[in-house]
Amino acid sequence: MSSRNLSAAQLSGLVKAGDIVIPGDAELPSFSRSGASAHVDRMFDYMHDSDRDGLKLLFSIFNVLPAFLLRGILKLSEKDKALPGPLGAAARMINVGVKGVVMTLYYSDTDQVGINQAIGWDAKCDELDLPEGVEEVAAKEAPQALAAAASSEAERATMLARAGAAALSRLSVKERSAYVASLRDIVLRRREQIIDRIQADTAKSRSDALMSEIYGVLEALHWLEKRAPKLLADRKQYTPLSMLGKSSWTWYEPLGTVLIISPWNYPFIQALIPIASALLAGNTVIYKPSEHTPLEGLIEELLAEAQVPPNWVRIVYGDGSTGAQCVAARPDKVFFTGSTRTGRKIAAQASELLVPVELELGGKDPMIVFADADVQRAAAGALWGALTNTGQSCTSVERLYVERPIYDAFKSELTRQAERIVQAVDSDGSADIGEMTTGFQVEIVARHLEDARAKGAAVLCGEQWDGKSKAIPPIVLDRVSDDMLLAVEESFGPLIPLMPFDGEEEVIARANDSEYGLTASVWSKDLERARRVARRLACGGVSINNVMLTEGNPALPFGGVKNSGFGRHKGEHGLHGFCNIKSVLIDKDSNKIEANWYPYTTEKYRLFSDLLTHLFGRRRSALIKFAATGMKLEKYSDKAGKRGREQ
Amino acid sequence: MSSTQDIYDAIIIGAGTSGSYVALGLVQGGMKCLMLEAGHDFDKNSYPQSELDANSQLFWGGGVELNSSADIGFLRPKVVGGGSVVNQALMDRFDDLAFDSWREASGVDYFTREYMEQWYDKAAEQISIQTVPEAYRNGNADVFRNGFEANGYCYAPLQRAQKDCGHAQGNSCIVCLGGCKRDSKQSTPITGLKRAREAGLELRADFEVEHIEARDGEVRVGGRGRDGSPSNYRARRLVLAAGAIGNSKLLLASGFQSKLPALGHNFHTHPQYMNLALYEEPVDAFKGPLQSYKSADHHFRHSGFKLENVFAPPVAIAMLIPGFGRLHQRYMKKMRHFACIEVAVRDSSPGRIRLKRNGDLLIEKTLNDEDKRRRDNGRDALRNIFYATGASEIIEGNVAIGLHLQGGCNMGLSGGHSVTGPDFKLHGYDNIYTADSSIFPNAPGLNPAFTIMALSIKAAADILAEEGR
Repeated sequence: MSSRNLSAAQLSGLVKAGDIVIPGDAELPSFSRSGASAHVDRMFDYMHDSDRDGLKLLFSIFNVLPAFLLRGILKLSEKDKALPGPLGAAARMINVGVKGVVMTLYYSDTDQVGINQAIGWDAKCDELDLPEGVEEVAAKEAPQALAAAASSEAERATMLARAGAAALSRLSVKERSAYVASLRDIVLRRREQIIDRIQADTAKSRSDALMSEIYGVLEALHWLEKRAPKLLADRKQYTPLSMLGKSSWTWYEPLGTVLIISPWNYPFIQALIPIASALLAGNTVIYKPSEHTPLEGLIEELLAEAQVPPNWVRIVYGDGSTGAQCVAARPDKVFFTGSTRTGRKIAAQASELLVPVELELGGKDPMIVFADADVQRAAAGALWGALTNTGQSCTSVERLYVERPIYDAFKSELTRQAERIVQAVDSDGSADIGEMTTGFQVEIVARHLEDARAKGAAVLCGEQWDGKSKAIPPIVLDRVSDDMLLAVEESFGPLIPLMPFDGEEEVIARANDSEYGLTASVWSKDLERARRVARRLACGGVSINNVMLTEGNPALPFGGVKNSGFGRHKGEHGLHGFCNIKSVLIDKDSNKIEANWYPYTTEKYRLFSDLLTHLFGRRRSALIKFAATGMKLEKYSDKAGKRGREQ
Repeated sequence: MSSTQDIYDAIIIGAGTSGSYVALGLVQGGMKCLMLEAGHDFDKNSYPQSELDANSQLFWGGGVELNSSADIGFLRPKVVGGGSVVNQALMDRFDDLAFDSWREASGVDYFTREYMEQWYDKAAEQISIQTVPEAYRNGNADVFRNGFEANGYCYAPLQRAQKDCGHAQGNSCIVCLGGCKRDSKQSTPITGLKRAREAGLELRADFEVEHIEARDGEVRVGGRGRDGSPSNYRARRLVLAAGAIGNSKLLLASGFQSKLPALGHNFHTHPQYMNLALYEEPVDAFKGPLQSYKSADHHFRHSGFKLENVFAPPVAIAMLIPGFGRLHQRYMKKMRHFACIEVAVRDSSPGRIRLKRNGDLLIEKTLNDEDKRRRDNGRDALRNIFYATGASEIIEGNVAIGLHLQGGCNMGLSGGHSVTGPDFKLHGYDNIYTADSSIFPNAPGLNPAFTIMALSIKAAADILAEEGR
C-alpha cells in the first residue's frame, strides 16, 4: 500500500490511530481490516497545505509512539473543554483532524466491506421512477394537532398541559430551577413595566405593588430556586431493626398537572409563586387568574421570556364557571386561593371527582397588643397591617385588641398616624395606599361600616368617605362590640376596629372566637408571654412583635385552620404539597425467604413471638437475645419456605 | 502565461447562487460575461458517490475548515452551483425582524419586507418551491413535530427548492447533500446557471482566481487552472460571488483592505449544533425528506435561535458522536435509532476573516456570552422535545458547524464600517460589485439562500439599468 501524500511511516501511524479509534467488533471490521486507508489520497489531494502538513506530522509521531500513549493523546483530545484556550484549541484540532481522517475513510465504506449494513445506512436516491415490482413507500396520515378534540378552553388547556408533563417530569430539579432563576432575572429587570400592569388592574399604590408583589415574588423565587434541589432530593428514612439490611426512602415526584386558581388581590404574587413551586416539583400547570385582575398576557410573556415551554403553564381566563370547567377537566390537584364561599364550591366539586384540593381562604386576623408593648411601633405596625394593599389581604389586621392600660394612648397614636396616610394610584411611589380594586368589595366595606355605626361604634378618622368611592380612606373605629359585622365577617378593606381587653385569657378566648383561623400577631416585651399566647391561638401562623411577617418568609409554610382553609403553601411543606411523595423500600435480590412469608407453622409462631418479646421488651439483654432469635427465625423461615410445609 | 485579449462586459467570480443569478440577468440583458469558478462542473451522473469524495471534491479544504479556536467547522462549497448543490435548498423569505435589524445596521432603506417582496417573487419564478410533503415525513420529523406539540412550541413545514423527489419510491434527500442525483433539487446548474449558459454565459470551471486589480476603468483578474497554468482576464465590470470567505480572501489578497478598512469584518455563520437523541424504536432520520419542519416560535425567534429536524450521513454522524473506540462503534450501530435536531444560533458577535503572512486564511469567530445563551436556550428546548418523545439519551454535538457564511463585505452607506454600498458596488469602486451573502450586514437568523437569490436578481437589474440596457 502506498500513497502520493503519506510516507509508509505516516500511513502506519494513521492505521495505528485508526485501530484505536475503530477497533472493530463482531459486526464492524477494525480500521486496518476495512482497508480504508488505501483511499487516503482521495482526501489528502484536496486538503489545504497546512492541514495536510499538520496531519502528516501527527501521523509520523503516532507511528513511533507506544499504543498506550497514542490512546492517551486521543483521550486527552476529547477533553478539550477542560483545557485552557490555546491548549483546548490544539486538542480540538488533533481530535477533529484524526477523527476526521479516520471516520471519513472508514464510514464512507468505499470498498463496501459491510460497514453500511452494520450501521443500518441504506439511504438512496434513484434517478429513475419506480421499477416494476418494487413497492411504493406508503404515505403517512396527515398529522393531527394535539387537543384538537377538546370541547372547551379549559379542557384544551388541560390536555396541552398534560402533554407538557412528559418533558418537565424528566428534568432534574436543578434543570427546572434554571427556569425559575431566569424568571427571577426577568421580573427584576422588567419590574417597572410589571408594576404598571399591576396598577392598571388593581389600582394599588405603586409602592404597595413594589414592596409586596415584586419583592415577595423575588424573595420567594430566590428561595425556591436555591432550596428546591435539596428539598426535593431523595431522602433516606428510618428503617426498623427488624428490617435490617434494607433501606427506606422517600422520593418527591410530580403529581402531574395541577390547577392553580388565584384571587384578585395579589394577582402577580399569587400567580408566580404557586406556578414556580408547582413547576419545580415537576408539575405542569393550568393557571386561572381572577377575572377581575387577569393581568392578561403578562404571565405568559414573562414565562416565555424565561424559555418556559407554553404547555408547561397554560393560562385560562374567565370567571367562576371557567374555574369549574377547569376542575371538571380533572387536574391532579387544585390549589385554590380566594374566598371561603368559592373555596367551598370548589372543594365540593373536587370531592366528587376525588381530586385533592388545597384551600387558602379568608381570615379575620387578630392583632393583640399587650400593655408592655412599644405604643408607637405597635400602632405603626397595626396601621400597616390593616392598610397594606388598602386592607385587601387575607391576613390583614381585621381585629385590633389592645390591653386596657394603654388603650387610649394607643388609640390617639393610631389615629394620629392614620390621618397622615397618603392615598393615590400614584406613578412615583409617594402614596401609602391605593384604591379598592373591585366595586363589590366597596359595598361590603360600606355595609360593615353602616352596621357598626348603627350599633354604636365611633368613627375616629375617615368619616369623610362617601360610602361609594373606591378611594376608601383609613377608617379607625372605637367602641366596637363583638356582635358587629366588622368584628365577625371579613371586611377586606381599610377598616380598623379597635377593641380593649383585660388579660391573657380573655383576649385568647375572643381571638379564637371566630370562624376563621389564618394568622395573628402578638405584641409584648415579655417574649415568654407572647409565645405562650401564640401557642394557644387557633390559626396557621403567628408573628410576634411584628405583623403579616410569616408569609413574608418564603421558607415558612402558609395556610390556615377552620374556615381559612387547609393545606400549606410555600416553604418545604408547600413544595411537598405539589409532590407525590413516593415511599420506596429497597431490599437486595437474594434467595432468602422472609420470616413473615408462608408457610406459617407453630414453630414459626413461637419464634416470632419470642422475637417480639426481645425486640420490644425493656430487658437489658434483649438486643443479644433478639439477634439470636432473629437468626434462628430467619434460618427456619428460609428452610421452611424452600422445602415447603411438609418438612 | 496565457492571456486573452477579449474584454468582457463582466466577469463573475463564483458559480454559486449569487453568481448564477447575477450572470443570468446580465447575459439576458445582452452583456458578454465570463464566469470563473474554482470548483468542478459536475452533473447528476458525475456527482461524487461516496461521502469521502463528496467532502473532498465539493468543499474547500477537503471538507471542513476550522476557525482559529477550532470549535467551529466551516463548510464552504467549491463546485459549480456552489451552495445550491450541497445545501438543503430551504427557501425562507426574511421577516420584519431580519430586515429591521439589517436596516438599522446598514442604513440601507430598501431592506424592508414590502420592497423585497418583488425580488423574492422574481426569484420564485426561477425555481420550483414546494412545501416538504408531510405525508412522507420520517421518524425524525415525527419526533420534532410531536415534541413541539407536547411542549406547546410552534413549528411550520419547510419550503424547499425541489421537484419530483420520488419519495413514494423511497428516495432519501440526504443523498442530495453531495449533489442531487436526479436533478430534483433546484441547484443552479439545472436552473439559473443553465439558463445563463444557454443565453451565452461563458463558464470556466476548475479555475481559482488569485488576484484582482481595478485599473484604467477596467478590471483584471488572474488565476490558475487545475493544472496550475495561469490565465488573466479583463472586463469592464467585475462581480464578486465567491461568498463571504471567498470574496474577503480575494480582496484581502489583492490589497483592497487599505481602501476598505471594514473588509473581512462582520463575519457571521449561524453556528449550528446538531444534537442527537437515542430512541428504543428505529427513527430512520435519513429516510425520505431529510428535513420537514422548522421552529416558528415567536419566542425562539426573539431569543435568537431556530430549530430544524435534520440528519447527516455516517461520516458526519461519526464526527458528532463524542469519543472513540468500541463505545463509539456501539453508537454508530444505533444509527437508525437516532433522532437529530439542530440549533442554529443567530450570532450577535461578529467574527473576522484575515490572511496569515503566508496567505492562508485565518478565521476568528467565537461565541460571546449572549450567543452561548442563545445556543443553550436552544439546547434546553431540544432536551424538552427529546424528553417529551421518549428519548433514552441525548448526545450534544460538540463542534459547531458554520454553513451560512455571511458578511466580510457588509453593506452600508459609507466606507468606514462597511464594504459594499446599497448599489452593490464596493465603496470607492465604480465597477466592482457583490450581491452574495458577503454583503449581509448581520446574521438574519434565517436560511439565507432565497434572499441571496433575490438580492442577486436585483443587483443584475441595477447593473443593467446603469448600462442603459
